[in-house]
Amino acid sequence: MPQRPLPPSSSSPAVTKGLFILWAVPGQGGRPLQPPTLQQIQALVRHMAEDAQELFAFYEEDQRLAINHLCRTNRPPEWLRGPVMGPGGLRGLRGTMARMAQVLQDITRHQRDLNPPGAEILRRLASTHLKVRGLLSNLEGLFPAPSLPPGRWAPPGPTAPTKVFRQKLEGCRILWSYARFMAKLSTQLEARSRREKRRSRRGSRPPARS
Amino acid sequence: MLLLSGDQEEEKIQIKSIVFPVKYLNISKDLALQQLLVEWDVGKSAHDAKLAMSFEIQVRRIDETTTVWTEFHNVTLDKSGKPLHWIWNSDLPLECMSHLVRIRSKAEASKIWSQWSPWETVLGLDTSNNSRPQIFPNEKIVEEGSDITLCCIGREGQIIKEFFLVPAVHVFNRTNSQVGLLTVKNVAHQGAPHITVYCRESCNEEQCYDHAVFFVGKPPDTPSDFSCQTQDMRIVTCTWSQGGDTYLYGRHSPKYTLSEEFSQKMVPCTVSCSDQCSCSWDIGQQRIYNITVTVENPLGKKTATDVFDVTHRIYPAAPFQLWEESTDTEITLYWKHQNKGIELFCQTEVLQPDGKVELHNCSDTHVRYASMTLGGLQPYTEYTARVHCGAAKHFWRWSEWSEARTIRTKEATPSGKLDIWREITSVLGGRNVTLFWKQTPSFRANGKNISYEVTWEKVEDGSKPESVSFSSVCNSTRISIDNHSYRISIMAKNNVNYSLPSVLIIPRATGARELKEEQVNGTDDGIFISWEPKHIYDNYIIDWCNYPMLQPCDLQWKRFGPNTSSALINSAAFVPGVRYNFHIYGSVANRASLLEKKTGYLRELPPLHDPTVEKVELTFNAVTLSWDSYPTNESQSGFVRGYNVYVSPIQEDCSLKGSKKHVLPDDSVLCKYTIENPEEKRYTVKHLLPNTKYKLVVKAYTGGGETPIVNFIYIDTPFNSNMLYLLVLLVIVPALVAAICRWKMKWLKECCCPVIPSPNKSKVLSFKEYKIGSGKVLKISDCIPDMLAVDNKAEAQKLHPWSQLSSAPTEDKIDGPSSSWIYPNESEERDFTPTPTPQTHIWFENFAYSSHLGVESEPETLEASKPELSVVLYQPHYYFDIFNEDAASTPRETAGRKSSLRYISQTDHKAHSKHRGQTA
Repeated sequence: MPQRPLPPSSSSPAVTKGLFILWAVPGQGGRPLQPPTLQQIQALVRHMAEDAQELFAFYEEDQRLAINHLCRTNRPPEWLRGPVMGPGGLRGLRGTMARMAQVLQDITRHQRDLNPPGAEILRRLASTHLKVRGLLSNLEGLFPAPSLPPGRWAPPGPTAPTKVFRQKLEGCRILWSYARFMAKLSTQLEARSRREKRRSRRGSRPPARS
Repeated sequence: MLLLSGDQEEEKIQIKSIVFPVKYLNISKDLALQQLLVEWDVGKSAHDAKLAMSFEIQVRRIDETTTVWTEFHNVTLDKSGKPLHWIWNSDLPLECMSHLVRIRSKAEASKIWSQWSPWETVLGLDTSNNSRPQIFPNEKIVEEGSDITLCCIGREGQIIKEFFLVPAVHVFNRTNSQVGLLTVKNVAHQGAPHITVYCRESCNEEQCYDHAVFFVGKPPDTPSDFSCQTQDMRIVTCTWSQGGDTYLYGRHSPKYTLSEEFSQKMVPCTVSCSDQCSCSWDIGQQRIYNITVTVENPLGKKTATDVFDVTHRIYPAAPFQLWEESTDTEITLYWKHQNKGIELFCQTEVLQPDGKVELHNCSDTHVRYASMTLGGLQPYTEYTARVHCGAAKHFWRWSEWSEARTIRTKEATPSGKLDIWREITSVLGGRNVTLFWKQTPSFRANGKNISYEVTWEKVEDGSKPESVSFSSVCNSTRISIDNHSYRISIMAKNNVNYSLPSVLIIPRATGARELKEEQVNGTDDGIFISWEPKHIYDNYIIDWCNYPMLQPCDLQWKRFGPNTSSALINSAAFVPGVRYNFHIYGSVANRASLLEKKTGYLRELPPLHDPTVEKVELTFNAVTLSWDSYPTNESQSGFVRGYNVYVSPIQEDCSLKGSKKHVLPDDSVLCKYTIENPEEKRYTVKHLLPNTKYKLVVKAYTGGGETPIVNFIYIDTPFNSNMLYLLVLLVIVPALVAAICRWKMKWLKECCCPVIPSPNKSKVLSFKEYKIGSGKVLKISDCIPDMLAVDNKAEAQKLHPWSQLSSAPTEDKIDGPSSSWIYPNESEERDFTPTPTPQTHIWFENFAYSSHLGVESEPETLEASKPELSVVLYQPHYYFDIFNEDAASTPRETAGRKSSLRYISQTDHKAHSKHRGQTA
């Protein structure tokens, strides 16, 4: 039975979107002057989890793929499987986000063959791509060194032409897996935040950064 | 062979009977094009004979019993002996099922068909190795409005359970076999970028499904407005419009290519499309071009062509770096252009201050720059100019406009004169003159800092003139002068010079001539003023106040030529319901004289207030109203033309004599009296009923009508005292007389009837012997009458005193033969119903008639003989009171004695008559 993505924790959309604008946009390809705090990353992730769920729902409906829950696979691609935060904590997230940014570009390219310029699905894909890039940029601000070995996140080359339906389906399944991934990540960050607050109340010194 | 025989006719007969069966048949398929390729041959003899042959070709599908296609193919064979070919386009994907073909032949000259060849089969998809069902075609692009057939081929041993489209459209489909079929007729775009096809075998695992998509689109439109041009003779740019949406995007979207016919080369340019498509390339040395733009998508291809000489397609760059030089009436504009070596023809557009646009042509081009002089301009005025150019030879089109430049000409002396006017007010020892000035339409300040200089001097003695300057915001001033004649001049001044002076002569003060004010009527367009022209004047001036109730009243004036005798005066300040006063002046040699006065409204309105009725004089049948203080002057919102007086009783509609009916919105009716003289402010409403409550209202009316009736005043007419007087006269006075008469009865009797003896006092009539009841009976024997008479004459009635008092119609008379008498009417009878009271009566009885007396006194008889009664005013029943008291019997009793005997004095008939009345 396919599963729905975990619901992101409730938060004010206005607040989270405002935070996203604060941290993701001012860079315009560059970096914010001050590195973001963990709480800010957490708020951004929460917002991205909501956005990922909305994108998936729209894509599934728009591409007429809701029949038999074709997209809601229990076998996500390797790079979108858990554990979401491994031993390296959020450090490991950089690779996932880099890969996701590339996949979103591929999906967008496929969809350009199917939709007129300016179509809603293209607009949403571009928006999500921007958010992924934003989180990636923030993670790079949070963990500035050491730089990742080149090629590790090198985007794969242009995919060989495949059948249109298969491309649609693969895109849909990745968006489903991505939505679940972000929901899990948001939940873990919330839990971690609660733990740290408890620790801080007990007087223990909170870890500086993961 | 038969064909070689010499007898041609015989040959023909033989050919007619010979057949050439298909000896070879091969079928293959082109899956990309979805075509069946059929190859066959007949015998060599047929080739050698170059026979014209017909072939009937049939196509059948393996699962269908009927032939899906039959076609006759005619061909003339040649000696090459090459096999024959035929291609069939299948509407069903050839993968979907096996197709079978057979052919038979016939020489055209023959009537006999050969035997059919055996069915030759081309197999469909081999499904033995399929791991899942498969849909055909996949990702096909179909033109909107066409049909498409799809099939889903299940794995071996599986049947297709579901085969449908999303978004759902009406389809013809067949399932429950290994091959599912689905046909869509007249496919539409439906707003979706593509249509998804779903197929499922009878199982549910992932390998039981297949999906495909197909696209619905349109072939591209032919590029429109395709043309090419150059700005610099180096780079040519071709532009065109795209046309409508093809619904095919990305790699399926229309692709544009440009090719050149003369060079047979593709044009090396990159097409970019937004609102328009364009493509530019370096032309090199080639001057003549035949360019074709081709637009192509999977559904079709369209082209458009433009053949041109580059030198005829020059579209110059816009002029740039404009600058100018200017005087007070001229501007010289300079600009640069990029098109070196190309002779240009330029055009300057000048935007005038009034919004008009003028175009000036210019072909003079300097090596470094171009220029154009614009003349006939107004001083100190802003003009906006811009330039565009085209090729002077082989004009193709104008360049884009240059940047616009706004230029102001230099200042100059004010031109034209001011229009000036005055208002003169007499004061002690002189006059106050308020001077007004305004710029006429022909006046031009021609400068930035305008001011006004007012100068005045005495005309007679040439004294030193006085002068004052005013800033540009002033348009009036007041000066005081004595009673001499003055010359006043006003000039405008700017930074350059003064304008010509405008002069006004104020004549010596003389006694004011009283002019009658004439009423004028307003129209929708203004107030029409006319005057009697006089040839001595060189112009006329009308002045008026825009706000007559304010101080200052905003004096306005207007000048008219000598041949004008009327004008329609209008002003934005004019409003209905305000009275405007107009003075018409004639002017000669700057001296103005008042000719006429007019007053009028743009539109009259009903009066703002109703007259207040100040005095009400009321009688029982009339009321006099007055409203003396009601104004009829300029405070009114129209000329008061008169008044309407409305009257009505409160409880009912009005119908007073001499009035007109006026119906109110509630349908009640008022009496209306109209007073047509506005100065007559008193009116008497007559013919009112006494003792009645009335409502009244007085309304003033103007040319705009009157306001609705809202409030009334109320009056009560008093009782009619004349009627009371009449009543007193008719009732009380006679009653008084009667009372006096009774009081002085004895005296009267003695005075008036002294000779009639009293029977009671008579010795003869001692009444000792006989009494009937209380009455006494006089015996005949006791006195011997000298004469006994029965009085039944009508004349006797005339002598009855009461008959003179009663009005004739109110009397009810019994026309009995033996008596005349007055009877009261029925009501009075009720009041005087006889009551049996013991009374003393004196009867003179003739016993011969005594029995008759008893019969006649019966009440029934009396009732039967009672006359009919009528309603009588002022019935003097008082008389009967008196009568009753005075009389010994009621009228009924009296009536019962119609034939009774009466004693008549022997001495005097006259006295007898009076006595009879009293007795009665």
